[in-house]
Amino acid sequence: MSHRRDFLGRALGGSALLAAGPVVPEFLARAAAQTPASDKDTILVVVELAGGNDGLNTVVPYGDDLYHRARPTLGLTRREVLRIDDYHGLHPRLTELKQMYDNKQLTVVQGVGYPNPDRSHFESMDIWQLADPGRAQTNGWLGRTIPAMRAREAGVPGMFVGQDRLPVALQGADGGVISLADRASFRLQLTGNAAPRRRLIEELNGGTDGGELTAFVRRRQLQTYASLQKIEEALRDIQPANGQPRRPDQPQQPGNDLANLGGKLNLIGRLIQKGLGTRIYYVSLAGFDTHSSQADVHADLMQEVSNSIGQFFGQLGTEAGRVVLMTYSEFGRRVRQNGSRGTDHGSGSNLFVAGPKVVGGLVGRHPRLDDLVDGDIRFHTDFRRVYATLLDQWLGVESRLVLGQVFEPLPLIDKAKPAGTVDIAPPRPKD
Amino acid sequence: MPAPLPAELAKVDPADAWQPWAPSAAEPWDHRAVAHLFRRAAFGPSPADTARALADGFPRTLDRLLVGEPDAAERLAMCEDAGRYLLDGSRIRLIPDFGNNNTPDPAVPVRAWWLYTILEGGHPLREKLALFWHNHFATSYAKVGSIRLMFEQNRTLRRFALGRFRPFLLEMSRDPAMLIWLDSNQNVKGAPNENYAREVMELFSLGVGNYTEKDVQEAARAFTGWHHSPDQTAFEFNRDLHDDGPKTLFGRAGNWGGDDVVRLLGDHPACARFLVGKLYAFLVSETPPPRPLLAPLEDRFRRGEYDIADLVKTILGSRLFFSAHAHRRRVKWPVEYAVGAVRAVAPDRVPLGDLIDPLAKMGQVLFAPPNVKGWRTGTDWLNSATLLARNNFAETVAMGAWPRRSTRQPQNGPEAVTVKDAPVAEVVAIDLLAMPASAALGAAAVYGSNVMTDPAGVDHLTVFSPIAPPGGAVGSPIPGAPTAPMDPRLDPALTLFEPKPASVAEVVARMGDALFGEPAPLAARRKIEAFLLDGKPSLTAAQLDTPAFKARTRESLHALMQRTCETVI
Repeated sequence: MSHRRDFLGRALGGSALLAAGPVVPEFLARAAAQTPASDKDTILVVVELAGGNDGLNTVVPYGDDLYHRARPTLGLTRREVLRIDDYHGLHPRLTELKQMYDNKQLTVVQGVGYPNPDRSHFESMDIWQLADPGRAQTNGWLGRTIPAMRAREAGVPGMFVGQDRLPVALQGADGGVISLADRASFRLQLTGNAAPRRRLIEELNGGTDGGELTAFVRRRQLQTYASLQKIEEALRDIQPANGQPRRPDQPQQPGNDLANLGGKLNLIGRLIQKGLGTRIYYVSLAGFDTHSSQADVHADLMQEVSNSIGQFFGQLGTEAGRVVLMTYSEFGRRVRQNGSRGTDHGSGSNLFVAGPKVVGGLVGRHPRLDDLVDGDIRFHTDFRRVYATLLDQWLGVESRLVLGQVFEPLPLIDKAKPAGTVDIAPPRPKD
Repeated sequence: MPAPLPAELAKVDPADAWQPWAPSAAEPWDHRAVAHLFRRAAFGPSPADTARALADGFPRTLDRLLVGEPDAAERLAMCEDAGRYLLDGSRIRLIPDFGNNNTPDPAVPVRAWWLYTILEGGHPLREKLALFWHNHFATSYAKVGSIRLMFEQNRTLRRFALGRFRPFLLEMSRDPAMLIWLDSNQNVKGAPNENYAREVMELFSLGVGNYTEKDVQEAARAFTGWHHSPDQTAFEFNRDLHDDGPKTLFGRAGNWGGDDVVRLLGDHPACARFLVGKLYAFLVSETPPPRPLLAPLEDRFRRGEYDIADLVKTILGSRLFFSAHAHRRRVKWPVEYAVGAVRAVAPDRVPLGDLIDPLAKMGQVLFAPPNVKGWRTGTDWLNSATLLARNNFAETVAMGAWPRRSTRQPQNGPEAVTVKDAPVAEVVAIDLLAMPASAALGAAAVYGSNVMTDPAGVDHLTVFSPIAPPGGAVGSPIPGAPTAPMDPRLDPALTLFEPKPASVAEVVARMGDALFGEPAPLAARRKIEAFLLDGKPSLTAAQLDTPAFKARTRESLHALMQRTCETVI
């Protein structure tokens, strides 16, 4: 019985449906009886680190003299890094991610890239987002994933949480992506007598005649209204009462503002908890193009990444096991630091795959620092192997259909692991 | 009179299921039966379709659906004229945008053109099957990159839609768009590319599990040298790059070439089973049938040399088709939904270009299926984003508010168009006098029909289309306001109030007739009547003839379009 109430609460939120008469809840209750609670879909959250994240100062080969020689001022020392073994350490501000790493909830994939690397932000970002080094594709890899993906729960299959243009990765998902920047894309168009019209539509869909398929479609139709409502509510929860974006001079409330990564992930967490059926979320954090005076800027970014991801998984509670998050950046940076205490565009890098159901640990060796190509590390793992693994093993989408060829999977996902939660210890006071 | 088919599909005798259906007192040829047939075999019944079908009786109606209207051949010739004209970029200028960098999508005209052919080609069943085959031989403009090749492939799909499968499969194996799409052009002796060989087995003829990896490799060798001509207009056999060594396919050895592969696929027992299963889901029911149910159809299809028309006629004329096992067992594809809504409700030609963006939001962009497997059909069409798109498209239709049917008129010919306040991404200027009349009609249908005269006295067709808000989806509706003013010529109330209704109940009955070819269920009618009465006990004829009442009528029409029966057919 509590199961049934739970379903109604989740499915309907504060929708007017509950007030629409006895028929609706009864029919939904029957639907609920057919939907086992454990039968929830997996979710992928993609975090784009725009500008070219310095992989060498993210997962640091502190045990390598060549690293310290190439980075006389930017190099992070054995004392500074969060050591994961005798050679590798995480950036000192990645404290939450280090805890997840220690709990086998974070995988570091090393040496990721593609042949003939392009060092233009635009070109390389396109290559990652199209999943096509030849850039012959016109639709993004997630845009191609969504039409091939099943969704057991009603909902919008893919969502871009941000104010910018829809990223290339999500483009081309005919019928399936909304962008939070574009409020109109998830509004029900009801002019004139809006409230009575909405009621009428709900009433007309509240019948019990017809077969199984009709019942299914009715449920989806009503769940659609509920989904729109959930998104609206989640947005209302995190935005100031006047609905205006925060002005630069207004104080920023941590985790409560769509202008930063924490706020975006927080919103996604709320939507997941509300039971929205979205399976792919995409967010972006900019500022990684650190050509000069990199140290402080990069440290702040590392902290934002780590803190936001840690908070996000913590907030998800028992839902965390449904979620895998991956980060990526269009390229890494040159091994040798430049003359302005920054780093220039490089190639190949590492990325994180996080969540209770990841295998955890390091995947692939650190690229050798004595075997560089044009001053850059040599990649050994095609980035599409990461995509293919997540498609096949996490989202249940045949990767060949999305990527056009078969890639060897990587040991990223362990679905058999107990779900568990992500518990982050409170930050220790700074010395 | 035969006993009705059992209520449980597993208990239906396959031999009974596919016997010809004969209307009877228990199962009459009535509005309900006509509507069911026209939803599946066409794009929904218009009141005229229903009247004629009832007068002609079932056998003649089915025959007509199979061959189309008497003038279908002329109509198709006219449509193809219009299509060729629309493809010719030199004669139609898509002037990119004022003020932002949106490039007009060059494939929009050909997409709208197909919708035009569906509506005006005089052969809806053929178009419906062409749509089925487009999904079966799913090929996308996204990789092919040529609108002309997609258009030519579409002509092939149409030509064979109700033809024979063996020559169809051979033709598709040599189709230039397909040769590009599945890399046949790169398939050469010594370095075979297996893409086409795999998909022709997995997706076009046999289905997974009916061939081995070795079969795929050998078939790829047999297809080596199957390329298109350098100008991409035709198939070309490149003998020098063909591997003419011995191959073993399905256990049979020979110096097989591509023609042989196609022949051996047709000889394979799985071929009929695979195709019949897909057509059954498309025409009858998306509930998977017990395997023996389809056996008689498979035998017939195989023995009759894969005559698609005969198979389709057997299915549509069967007892099973008119039973509860087929009624409301399928989810409308977006194209069926959009075309059906327009046919049912809009009193005049709508600008078909306005259907393209809503169709994308509903999940179906013609000429661009998501991958070689085609669209995910059935309940997979329906998620919150796509259902919302269906809702919002229905509002456009019900309100008669079409973005491209703009009332704004340019000032001095297309070169001097000034559009500052308006959401405009492209202006299409077509010199109407310079094209054949049939092509002009087609272009007008595709783009809308703002004809304006330039200073030299030449008529141009000028078109406005909605732009994408920065970063947003194209043409999203603005909440709280219609995207475009209502066009009085496209106001659904025009038909619903002609002749003048005497009562609220009459208006509601006409809505059901228009939308479903049969009255809506009583409970639904009652709810709509209550909405229209808005608390009043009754309305006089004069009160019905007011703008406010007509507005409510449009609103309730929209609600009725949102009933599940508009989605489940």
